[in-house]
Amino acid sequence: MIMKALFRHSMLVLVGTLSFCTNTFAADGQLKIPEFAGLADKAAESVIITLDPSLLRLAARFLDPSDPEDAAARAAIAGIKGIYVRSYKFDQDFAYPKADVDMVRKQLGAPGWQQLVQVRTRAEQQNVDIYLLVEQERANGLAIIASKPREFTIVNIVGSIDMKKLHELEGQFGIPKLDLEDKK
Amino acid sequence: MSKDFEQQLHEALRPVDPEEGFEQRVLARIVQERSSTRRKVTRWASVALAASVVFAAVLGTHEWQLRREQEGLEARKQLLEALRLTGEKLDVAYQAVNREAPEPADDGSGA
Repeated sequence: MIMKALFRHSMLVLVGTLSFCTNTFAADGQLKIPEFAGLADKAAESVIITLDPSLLRLAARFLDPSDPEDAAARAAIAGIKGIYVRSYKFDQDFAYPKADVDMVRKQLGAPGWQQLVQVRTRAEQQNVDIYLLVEQERANGLAIIASKPREFTIVNIVGSIDMKKLHELEGQFGIPKLDLEDKK
Repeated sequence: MSKDFEQQLHEALRPVDPEEGFEQRVLARIVQERSSTRRKVTRWASVALAASVVFAAVLGTHEWQLRREQEGLEARKQLLEALRLTGEKLDVAYQAVNREAPEPADDGSGA
């Protein structure tokens, strides 16, 4: 009887530990982005992009190698497993649930995530946080949380990110050259 | 002449007993023809069914390819949009970092 209870207790502890691990180190750099249910109806503009590995592969097949923009995109996504974007613009200030955005920010306190850039502009009330998930000296995830009173954007790129390739996107998508190596 | 003809006609049309086994042969022939017709119908039905299956498969594949192409083009559009948005936000950070840390006086290093 006692052995049975002990066994049951051990199993519960094991399941609990596994569940904790799964939640804490969710899918290699993939953040749990809230549903933001109903926000698209309230927003003046919304962009919801979910590109999982299979959709990324499919998108890559339709990139034209002779087009410089497409070629740069193809190079940039090599090694990337997923891209998740949520971006909303509103007609009124703070029409979005700030707590949900903060919930995403909180996840970036997990081990491995390093803050690369933090921007706070008083004039525009703009906040931009850029985080990298660094594992074994490799960037395995990127998170950008940008917010203004009337808009917010969350970008989560999962997978092996080649900063050099990100550099090479300069001029293709308006991405500037960043001295990312110097920030380490 | 006419009498001869009548005679000939009479002889030709005289009742004749069928040969032995005539009835069986007729019945066997009927059965054979019936099964032959059935075989023909079955064969045509099979050909029609096979043709329909091939047609449906070709149509299905074509539809699937069209849908896949639409999904692919949509995924490409989303990818470019995602990279554009990422670039836009990185640009904001870059501008802010540049504003906060102005370039040092030109020392001729040519960075």
